[in-house]
Amino acid sequence: MKEIWFFKTVRILLLMLICAMCIIPFYVLLVLSLNAPSRVFYEGNMFIPTFAWGNYADAWAKSKIGTAMINSAVITFGTLALTILFGGMAGYAIARRNTPMNKAIFSLLIGCMMIPGIINTVPLYTLMRQLGAINTLWGMVLVCSTLCLPSAVFIYTTFVRSLPRELDEAAEVDGCTGFKAFWRIIFPVLKPATASFVILNGFGVWNNYAQAVFFLQSREKQNIPQALSVFFQQFGGAKWHLMSATAVIAIVPVVVIFLVFQRQFIEGLTDGAVKG
Amino acid sequence: MQSKGWVANGARHKRHRREYTQYMSLPALLLFCAFFVYPLIRGVGMSLTDWDGMGEATFIGLNNFARFFQDARAMGDIKTTLIFAAGSAILLNLVGLMYALLMEKPFHGRSATRVIIYLPAIISPLIMGYIWYFLLQPGRGFLYHAMEQLGTSFQLGNWMSDYPTTMTVLILVNVWQYAGMTMIIYLAGLQNISSDLREAAMIDGASTWQRFTRVTLPLLMPAIRINIVTNIIGSLSVFDVIMSLTEGGPGYATESLSIYIMRMCYGSRTGYSTAVAMILFMIILIPVLISMRLTRAKD
Amino acid sequence: MKKVLALLLALTLCLSVLTAVADTKVSFFTGKIETIDLLNGIIDEFNAANPGIVVEQEYQNDASSVIKVKFASGEVPDVMTTYEQEFVDQGKYLDLSDMSDWWSRLVPSMKDSCTDLKTGKQFRVCTNMTMAGFFYNKEIYAKLGLTPATTWDEFVANLTTIKQQMPDVTPWFIFGKEAWHLGHLIEFIPHGYLKQTLGALECKKAMLNNDSAKLNFGAADGAMAVFAQNLLDLQKNGLINEDVLTATSDNCVEAFVTGKAAMFSNGMWALSGLLEANPDMADKIGFAPYPAYMPNSKPVVLCAEDSGYSISATSSNVDAAKAFLNYLFNADNQKKYSEALGSPSAFTDVDANWAPAAFAAEVKNVLNTAVNIGFTNEKPAGFSGDDAGRLVQDLLAGTYDAQGFAKAYEKAWNEGF
Repeated sequence: MKEIWFFKTVRILLLMLICAMCIIPFYVLLVLSLNAPSRVFYEGNMFIPTFAWGNYADAWAKSKIGTAMINSAVITFGTLALTILFGGMAGYAIARRNTPMNKAIFSLLIGCMMIPGIINTVPLYTLMRQLGAINTLWGMVLVCSTLCLPSAVFIYTTFVRSLPRELDEAAEVDGCTGFKAFWRIIFPVLKPATASFVILNGFGVWNNYAQAVFFLQSREKQNIPQALSVFFQQFGGAKWHLMSATAVIAIVPVVVIFLVFQRQFIEGLTDGAVKG
Repeated sequence: MQSKGWVANGARHKRHRREYTQYMSLPALLLFCAFFVYPLIRGVGMSLTDWDGMGEATFIGLNNFARFFQDARAMGDIKTTLIFAAGSAILLNLVGLMYALLMEKPFHGRSATRVIIYLPAIISPLIMGYIWYFLLQPGRGFLYHAMEQLGTSFQLGNWMSDYPTTMTVLILVNVWQYAGMTMIIYLAGLQNISSDLREAAMIDGASTWQRFTRVTLPLLMPAIRINIVTNIIGSLSVFDVIMSLTEGGPGYATESLSIYIMRMCYGSRTGYSTAVAMILFMIILIPVLISMRLTRAKD
Repeated sequence: MKKVLALLLALTLCLSVLTAVADTKVSFFTGKIETIDLLNGIIDEFNAANPGIVVEQEYQNDASSVIKVKFASGEVPDVMTTYEQEFVDQGKYLDLSDMSDWWSRLVPSMKDSCTDLKTGKQFRVCTNMTMAGFFYNKEIYAKLGLTPATTWDEFVANLTTIKQQMPDVTPWFIFGKEAWHLGHLIEFIPHGYLKQTLGALECKKAMLNNDSAKLNFGAADGAMAVFAQNLLDLQKNGLINEDVLTATSDNCVEAFVTGKAAMFSNGMWALSGLLEANPDMADKIGFAPYPAYMPNSKPVVLCAEDSGYSISATSSNVDAAKAFLNYLFNADNQKKYSEALGSPSAFTDVDANWAPAAFAAEVKNVLNTAVNIGFTNEKPAGFSGDDAGRLVQDLLAGTYDAQGFAKAYEKAWNEGF
């Protein structure tokens, strides 16, 4: 009994330390966002800002963060939906029907995961221009989906491979054909994979800057990182107070969603322990 | 192949279904080919030219590749990238696994903790980089002043003054930021391991360590595989972390290959930068293949 | 139901065709963040006053990289603020030489500054001037009885006095983490020497043609080596901040406005940041030229064209673009622009309060007494200002000695072509 208590305490302490370390950047962000520009940072108590709440109104107006958040949301949601569908289907096909073609597809996707994005930029830009997809949200969804697809296929294939065959047989017994079997029986069991994929890649898409710079141009279509970049000057630092206020505004809904859907995520992660 | 489970409705349906299923990977393939492979092929052609991004592109064969290996700066970048990746990939997995093990058993405030550990990954790397520098800037960073005001002093010194310390700080920041992601995958993997198995092992008299190495680890292989592959790829192509903390500096000391590629591309050496990107691909390919082999799941 | 749908379809088709025919879209591409809101306001006014033309502003933080991708894939904005020699050579810009309405209202030297050496024509129009030099703390100078230096020896003497009398103050604050800043020092000081001795035009030609006899970058007693040695000496004697390699421009602003730094080098674009951080500084900021550091040379100050606009040579909306620029260039709008940007207008009929009066007067004085030089626009395509700055970082990190630096600089410059 004593042993268990001891380990548990150590564990909790370690976790608290880790949490403290992870919170510091946010605390800094918050403090920065509430400082007036003329506040010299290190004089006086640096842990307490001057509570310049006006920064938030200013930042909202100047960066058009509202529109940007909507854009980011649409792009992220669209990308995730598309990649979960295609990636899941592909993972199922590759893991369960290991035909030469599927093997090749898998190798292709994983291989391309290792290719630095820059090679693609110019030809992809030209292609998107020809499709009229530049400066559109759906164009951006296509670009981001393509980027996330290898990761999705990789994760799904790996997880499906670890599922017992009884599941497929159960589906066959019920008379389900390929896609229906996938959708009704297999996919729900893949929740850990889906949850992992969403958590891993969702934020990458939300925070995408490298592709957004080229494919989203007008202020109405720009996403969050682009809205933030408004405060970086060419020859000089950033307007810290406004930039951090914008960053805080952008983070709040994400954290809220994360907290709200946490239970689903947790359930997703824990589901799928198919007891033998 | 498909086990010999009995099938209702006869064999003819069986063949139908099998053929249908295997084609479910096609939509993904089509999307990918259209928006990645096709531009890629056009891009690869560039690596054999001296295109400057605008004018004429003249074919120069493998000249770009030769020039790369003769460039001292490029060789230095390879060294930096490899060191960074080795350090990051190893630490990320160790730390991520440790976090996952710590978080496994329920306790009060577990959900909140999970969120908090994952938070650094939510912020755009652009911003995180600035914040890190803000915190860690030698002599002027937030942490230095915070320590002073709290009465102790922060003896980190000027970590940018020599190569080993700079690289260490870079790796640590990278791990700090992305350990949450690794943790999530390990958590998913750990949850997948039936607790029955672990109990059985405990009853059999296995010690904690033996339980871990003989039962948990092997069953964790899928998760390990995903994490190692993703981490290797991610850290070999590191860009944001280094760019925001040191900008590859001072000079070119901590420049990574991705940064080099970007600078070449916009420095009007577009053809050359494509060639370097191909080289980077090769550099990534080898460790990934090795690790995939080593963590081969028993199917 | 079908009929209604068909009608709706026809209607939307008609509308889209009509709007497509009616509206000329002019895309305006800029990398300048400081004036985004002001320009949006002007654009809205113009759009309202000109039905049928719709101007759209696209701002990109990394404009010079994005424009390269746009060019490479054949999509070019109608109006843009990005201007590089290589684009001129590729014929990307429209010839603006005969826009006499504009040139006649600008100061005469502006047409020269905007002239492309290779063709003798003008492919951009610049509406403002920007200056760069040393911003110094007048209070500190007054207290120590110093006057801005004109030679390097005087300069070092000033720095030394500051260091001895006020040990807590950094004499010259260099924010070396930002490579562009060090790159600028190169463009102003060593290049500045070349520009004044060869003459602006000859120097441009020498750089474009990579005339190493004239440029002489690698020479042991040349402009580069002496500059490098001077910097190293300053570093050794503690006359610049110790953390030069990790200091940022924010640090610099903070140090300056709290009196912890006596001077720093920067351009007019830094002024608004200073005043925002500490409005009381308005009458304490002085402006001085870069002192002469080579034998037989004079102090220099940067006086360069700023806010340039070019029109794409392949644009299908040239008239609309020109109409927009006409509106943008009218005196009222330019006054607002100057004051928002914090730099004087190049239009002779615009009178703007772009800076506190005393400061503006001192700037004018410096412009009259020191040799005016421009930015080094004729750098090789593969060797940018940032690249040069990174070489200086290496220098300050101890990788090179002065001669090694000069050689490395020459090598990098040559390879950049």
